[in-house]
Amino acid sequence: MSEKQLILVVDDDPDLVEAVSMKLEALEYRVAKAYDGEEAMEKIKEEKPDLIILDVMMPRKNGWEACDEIKNNDDLKDIIVVMLTAVADSVKTTSYTHQDGKTTLADDYIAKPIDLDKLMEIVQDHCE
Amino acid sequence: MNNSRKDSLKTSVKDVFFQPRVLVVDDEVRIQKACQRLLNEEGCDVEVAENGIKGLKMIEEKHFDIILLDLMMPGMSGIEVLTDVKAHHPDTVVIVITGYATLEHSIETMKKGAFDFLAKPFSPQELRIVISKAIEFIRTLQDIATEKSRMRVMINTLSNGVLTTDNQKRIALANPAFLKMIGCRQKSVIGHKVSEFIKDSRLLDMIDQAIHQPKDIFAEITDDITITFPEEKDDIIIGVRCIPFRDRLKRNLGSVTVFHDITALKKIDQLKSNFISMVAHEIKSPLNSILMQLNVVLDGLAGELTEKQKEILQKSSNRIKSLTALSTDLLDIGKIESGLINQEREELNLIELIKDQVEFYRDQASSKSIQLITKKTLKELWLMGNRTNIEEVLSNLISNAIRYSPNGGKITVWANKKNDCAVINVSDTGLGIPQKDLEHIFDKFFRVKDKTTRHINGTGLGLSIVKSIVEAHHGTIEVESEIDKGSCFSIYFPKLEYKI
Repeated sequence: MSEKQLILVVDDDPDLVEAVSMKLEALEYRVAKAYDGEEAMEKIKEEKPDLIILDVMMPRKNGWEACDEIKNNDDLKDIIVVMLTAVADSVKTTSYTHQDGKTTLADDYIAKPIDLDKLMEIVQDHCE
Repeated sequence: MNNSRKDSLKTSVKDVFFQPRVLVVDDEVRIQKACQRLLNEEGCDVEVAENGIKGLKMIEEKHFDIILLDLMMPGMSGIEVLTDVKAHHPDTVVIVITGYATLEHSIETMKKGAFDFLAKPFSPQELRIVISKAIEFIRTLQDIATEKSRMRVMINTLSNGVLTTDNQKRIALANPAFLKMIGCRQKSVIGHKVSEFIKDSRLLDMIDQAIHQPKDIFAEITDDITITFPEEKDDIIIGVRCIPFRDRLKRNLGSVTVFHDITALKKIDQLKSNFISMVAHEIKSPLNSILMQLNVVLDGLAGELTEKQKEILQKSSNRIKSLTALSTDLLDIGKIESGLINQEREELNLIELIKDQVEFYRDQASSKSIQLITKKTLKELWLMGNRTNIEEVLSNLISNAIRYSPNGGKITVWANKKNDCAVINVSDTGLGIPQKDLEHIFDKFFRVKDKTTRHINGTGLGLSIVKSIVEAHHGTIEVESEIDKGSCFSIYFPKLEYKI
């Protein structure tokens, strides 16, 4: 079996990144970590991950912007983007739906609070 | 004629809070005298003129409520007098006395504006009848005038702004509160186009929409507009509700717009939503992190766990999950309450809404062996309300009914009309609510707690959300419940009719 895919986990909460990474590693994925949008963009360009788990609310470039940048870049647009959205983000706008996720060019989304097992299923579906 | 009958007529004239002033214009002294005597008895103030010229001169000098006018007089004819009176004193009621009560004559005088006619010779009773008819007519006109001025005083005293226009967008009424809100110092705006005084394009647009609303719909157009003043004065935010004003044939006669200054409310609302997003982010995120870390540990990714450790961690995990659910509901209630300040309302067909919601919950119900049905009562039942809110009410009531029916059963949802109210009913055959708890079920965070409900999840906010929505729609809720038999929630929405 070939080497498992590389997954980049991006969130400003280090505890969350750690928990997600441990789950991914348990499934034998390779994991890279970033803690804000700018750092995420650097890591993406350096390491060319196969999939990115991307938080929305982050300092230094939010998840929507980062996602747009990835999907509008021909070298990066094939990377699968899974957005993490908190209900808090939608307080001022409308409630977040799957369809809304698609319009941001992201490939998938999972709402916070994250169900880790569900997130793993999503990742596995995309990495098959 | 007997006395008691006369007395009753007199009092009826006295009831009218004016003493009717009557002028008799007739060249026949006999008729002058007879009318004067009889009408004095009736409580009228009577004067006489023996010809048209003199009559017109007296009318110029003071107002008469009623004129008894002979058609055939030497000099100026009665028809000429009638024409002159109607041209200059349209409020004066003219009763024509004629010797030739022919059809042509009557028609001609009526066309010229006569109120009625008396054919010579007439009996006292005939005169009385004609006069009391005229007095009744004057009284009605006065009532309308009084009602109009009462309304004007009322509208001018309101702290909400009111603007009405005709269907050409000319101002028919604008109260001082409205003029103040838009910063207009001019007093006489009636008859002018609204666009001369209103600069806000959204507001002009709303009035336009209301005036051109098609017959088959009736919606209130609602929006918040911000008015800025050139001076240092702070901006104000105004909640505007605009509706068409229609006649019985549903033709648009104009628009009615009500302005409510919600500047203070908006400020508080902003503070509240900032607070809510802060709470959401600062509380939910850490909780979420903890949950994930527990999940990792529970998975054994941080080392082997004993059964006991697993059990305890699982319990803490569950407690945190319910905390997260609570904060989500807090966000919801915050969102809904802030949305209730000023929002779009439209005519909704309750029957359709119920059908959709029942459809939506059917799978969930049948997975718990619950039969979820609608009772077919009416084809349509219209309600002036906010769509999202009313859907929220239905969805809360139905999902509650499902949750509190642990042993299957039947849930019936229907709408009907009762005492001019549109009523939504949701009845179930579930656990029922203990009598002592009934008065608390609409309190925030209240949940019926006993051994049968312990395992049912919830935060106790659903019914309080329902209540705030219902109250914002001027409705009321009733609950009937019997332990082990089930509950029935009925929500009464008053039919707010803006149409005449």
